[in-house]
Amino acid sequence: MSKPDKENKHTNWVLTIVLILGTITVFFPLYMALVIAFKSPSEMTNDVQGALGFPKHLGFENFAKAMEVTDFWNTLGNSLLITISTIVLGILVYSLVGYVLGRTTAKSKHFKLIYLYIISGMFVPFAILMMPLVKETAQMHLGNQLGVILLYLVFYMPMNVMLYAGYMKNIPEVMEEASMVDGASTWKTYWKVIFPMMKPMHATVAIMTALGTWNDVMTPLVIMSGTGINTLPIAQLNFQTAFGTNYNLAFASYILSLIPMLIFYIICQKQILNGVANGAVKG
Amino acid sequence: MKKKMSNRTKTYLCILIPALILFVMFNTYPMINGLIYSFTNYKGYGKFDWVGLRNYVDLFQDERVLKSYLFTFKYALCGTILVNVLSLLMALALNAKIRFKSALRGIYFVPNILGGLVIGYIFSFFFTYILPYIGIAWNIEWLQNSILASPAYAWIGVLIVGVWQAVAMTTIIYISGLQTVPEDVYEASRVDGASKWTEFWKVTFPLIIPFISINFVLTTKNFLMVFDQIMSLTNGGPAQSTESISFLIYRNGLDGGQFGFQSANAFVFFLVIVIISVVQQLITGKKEEQL
Amino acid sequence: MKTFRKIMAAVLCVMMIVTLDGCAQASEDGITEIEIVSYKREAIDVMDEIQDLFNSTHDDIRLKISSPNEAMTILKTRFIRDDYPDIVAIGGDINYSNFLDAGLFMDISDLQALKEVKEGYLDIDKQLELVSMDGVYALPYVANAAGVLYNKDIFNKYGWKIPNTWDEFISLCQTIQSKGLTPLYFGYKDTWTTLAPWNALAVDLVDANICAQVNKNEATFANAYREVATKQKELLKYCQPNPYAYSYTDAATAFANGEAVMWPIGSYAISQVQSVNPDMNIDSFVMPGSNDPNKNILNSGIDVQFSIMENCPNKEAAYEVLNFLYTDEVLNMYLEDQGGVATKKGEFPIAEYLKGMETYILAGEVADFQDHHYPTEMAVDAMIQTYLLDKKKDALDTFLNKFDTDWIRYNRDLIARVQKEES
Repeated sequence: MSKPDKENKHTNWVLTIVLILGTITVFFPLYMALVIAFKSPSEMTNDVQGALGFPKHLGFENFAKAMEVTDFWNTLGNSLLITISTIVLGILVYSLVGYVLGRTTAKSKHFKLIYLYIISGMFVPFAILMMPLVKETAQMHLGNQLGVILLYLVFYMPMNVMLYAGYMKNIPEVMEEASMVDGASTWKTYWKVIFPMMKPMHATVAIMTALGTWNDVMTPLVIMSGTGINTLPIAQLNFQTAFGTNYNLAFASYILSLIPMLIFYIICQKQILNGVANGAVKG
Repeated sequence: MKKKMSNRTKTYLCILIPALILFVMFNTYPMINGLIYSFTNYKGYGKFDWVGLRNYVDLFQDERVLKSYLFTFKYALCGTILVNVLSLLMALALNAKIRFKSALRGIYFVPNILGGLVIGYIFSFFFTYILPYIGIAWNIEWLQNSILASPAYAWIGVLIVGVWQAVAMTTIIYISGLQTVPEDVYEASRVDGASKWTEFWKVTFPLIIPFISINFVLTTKNFLMVFDQIMSLTNGGPAQSTESISFLIYRNGLDGGQFGFQSANAFVFFLVIVIISVVQQLITGKKEEQL
Repeated sequence: MKTFRKIMAAVLCVMMIVTLDGCAQASEDGITEIEIVSYKREAIDVMDEIQDLFNSTHDDIRLKISSPNEAMTILKTRFIRDDYPDIVAIGGDINYSNFLDAGLFMDISDLQALKEVKEGYLDIDKQLELVSMDGVYALPYVANAAGVLYNKDIFNKYGWKIPNTWDEFISLCQTIQSKGLTPLYFGYKDTWTTLAPWNALAVDLVDANICAQVNKNEATFANAYREVATKQKELLKYCQPNPYAYSYTDAATAFANGEAVMWPIGSYAISQVQSVNPDMNIDSFVMPGSNDPNKNILNSGIDVQFSIMENCPNKEAAYEVLNFLYTDEVLNMYLEDQGGVATKKGEFPIAEYLKGMETYILAGEVADFQDHHYPTEMAVDAMIQTYLLDKKKDALDTFLNKFDTDWIRYNRDLIARVQKEES
C-alpha cells in the first residue's frame, strides 16, 4: 500500500497530535482506577488531590486484601478453565462442522437445511434461553464450569460455523481428492490436510471466542449462581456489596480483574486486531 | 433411483449429529421450554397454573415492560448512530498519513477488551463523584448532580460507557474497509481535482457500504442486548429509567418470581430481534444492489 | 494425529474432573450435614461463631451456615434448580409468604423451641400466610424495630427532645436546619430504603390489615395511603441535597460521621453504622406519624426466622439445630452482635440504641411492615422513588392510582382465591 512516493513522506502531524491527545479518553478511566486502587480510604478526600492525585505510597495491601475477599486465584482459574476449554473445543468442533457444511450446502438441500438451522441460532438472544437453561442445567448436574462451556459451545456455534464454512471456499476440493485417492478416510484427510490449512481462521475464532467468553457476565451468572463457583466478572458482581464504601478495595479488585486480559492484549495485540478484523469482515 | 450413502456422507453425518444434538439440547429445546412456560404463571419453583395468553396481553399493557423496550430502542438507536459516526471518523484518522499508526490503533482498541461490568463500576464512580466534584469546583451547574441519579439523563451515562467500549471494534472494521479501497481510485479522483469532502462522499463512502452495513447490524444487535453496563452503572434505576429488556427479564424472571411472565417477554424480544435483523438485511441489501 | 488425540484426552480429563468435583456430595462416615442459608450478610461473623460452637458440641451433626451476597436471588435461583438447603434463615416478609404458599416449608408444630416464642411473633407469621394454613412453618428468632435513628450526642448538645407528634417532628427538623445542620439523610439510590419511612409512617396512619381489606374489595390504597405519601414527600425538605445519588451504605457512613442528625431506618442498620463509627452514641424513637401520640405504634417485624425446607431429609437433625439456636446462650450471642429484639419469652436486655422505643417494645405496641405484603415484582420501592422524584402537580394521584391498579394486576390470582374463599 505504501508506494515510494513524495506524498507518503508528508505525515499529517496535526492529525497525529489530535489522535495522541485523544488517547486521554482511553487512559483516563484506567489511570483513575489505578490511582484509587493504590490509595487508602483516608486519602480519598473531596478535592482534586484526593480524587485524582498520585497515591502517597505504592503499597499492595489493597490488592492483597481484594485477592483474599474475592478468592482471586480460584476465580482466575475458573475463568481460564472456561475460556481455554471453550476455545479448544470450539476450534475442533466448529471447524469440523464448518468443513462439512462448507462442502455440502451447495450440493445438497438437506445439508443446506442443517446449515440454515444452525445459523438461525444467531438470532436467539440469550435472554430467551436464560430461564429454561437454569432449570435444564441443574437437572443435568451441569450447574458448573462444564455447563458454561457447553453453553458457550452452542451459543458461538452459528457465527463460527458460518466463518469456517465460508472459509472453505478458499480451499479447493482437489485438496481432499488427492489424499483420498491415496486411500485415506475422510476423517484422516480432514485432520491431515484441511485442518492445518485453516490456521488463519483458527486464530480468528480463538480470539473472538476469547474476547466473548472472558468478559461474559450473563451465562456464568445464571448457570452457576449460588454455587460459589465464580468467574472474574461474577466475583466482581458478587462482592460489590462486600466492599461497602471502601472504594480503594473495590478498585484494587477491578484492576486485578482487568490485568489478565490486558497482558494477553499487550502480547498478542497484532494478532488480535487482525483476527477481529477478519472475523467481522468475513462474517 | 436411490443412492447408497457414500462413506463420505456417513462421516459427514457422524460429525454433524453430535453437534446438532448439542445444539438442540441447549438452544432449541430451552427455547421451546421457554415458550411453554410463557403460557403459565410459574414462579420458578412450586406449583403453577396455565394462564393461556394472559401474559402476552399483560405485556402490552405493562408500563414497566413498555418502558424497557422504549429505553432499549432509544439506547440502541442513539448508540448505533453515535458509534458509527465516531468510528468512521476515527477510522479515517487512523488510516491517514499519521505517525505511530499501529500504536495508536492498539491503544484505541483497549476499551473493547475490558469487561463491561468492571468498566461500568469504574465509570459509576467517575459519574457519581468525580464529575460532580468538577462541576462544583468550576461552577458548572448541570454537572453538579450525578448524572446517574437523574431519571431523565441516566441513560446518557449508560450510553457514554456503551459507546466508549463499542467504538473500538467498529473502528477496526472500518479501517479494514478503508484498506480495501485501492490507491488508484484516489489517484483518479485527485487527478480530477476533487476536494477531500467530495472525495469522501463520491469515492470512499460508496465503496465501504458493505462495511457500514456490517457495523450497523453488529452494533444494533449488541446495543439491543445491553446488560453488563446496566448491572454495574445503575441497576436499572433511577426510577427504573434504565432497565433494558435483557435486564428486566433477568431481574424479574429469576429474582421477582415472574418466570412465566418474563418468558413471554423473552419470546417477544426474540421476535423483535428477528424482525429488526431481517429489516436491516433487506435495507442494506437494496443499497448494495444500487451500487 | 497423535498430538490431536493427546489434546482430546486432556480436554476430556479436565471435563471429567470438573463434573466429578461437582458431584461429590455424599456425606462420609455417617455424619449428618445440615446446611443453613442465611439472608443476613451483615451477620456473617456471628453466624460463623454459632456454627463453630454447634460443631464443637455435636459429634453426629455438622452444621454449615452460609451468608452469601444477594442471598434472596441465590435462594430463588437454587429453588428454581431444585437445589434446596436444609434450613433457610430469612425475614418474615413477602418472600416467606411466597415460599410458604408454594409449599416449600415443613410444618414444625412439634418443635420444642416454639413453646418459648412470644405469641405476638407467632401471630405475625400467621398474618403473613397468603391464604390461611394449618400448622406452624417458621421459628421467629429476632425482631427489628424501625423508626428513626438519631445522634444522641448532637441531641444532648442542643437539648433536643424526642418528638411525639408529627408537628413536633417537623418543627424539630426546622430547628435543626436553623442551626445549619442536616436533619435527615436518605440513601434513596438503593430504592428499598424508601420503604423505611414509608413503613414507619404507615403503621401509625393505616390499618394493619389494609392489604387484606383491599383484596376483599373493602378499601382502596388511594384512600389509605394518601396521608403517608404526602408526609413522606414532606420529609424531603429536610434531608441532604439529591438523596437519590446516595446508597444505603453512603447514608450509614454519613450518619455515622455526624453529617446528619437523624436517619429514618430500621435497627438492622445499626451494625453498619457501628462499623464506621464504633463509639457512636445512637438511640432511636418511634416515627410519630400523626398528631395523636396515642396512635403511635412501633414498626417492628421479624428480622430473622428459621424455616425447614419441606423435603429436608434429616428432620431430627434439623430440629436439633433449631433448638440449639433458640437457647438463651446462642440467642444472646446473636443479639449482642446484631442487635434487635428477642422473640423469646424471658428477660432479654434491650440495647442502648433502642432505649427511646423501650416503652413500645415492652408493652408490645408493635405492628408489622406493610411492605411484607407487597409482591416483589410490583417494585413498590421503585414506585415510591419515582413518586418522590416526580415534581408534577398530580404526582400524588398518579402514584396512588398506579398503586391500586398495579396491586390488582400483581395479585390477581391471590385476590381470586381470597374472594372465592369469602363466598
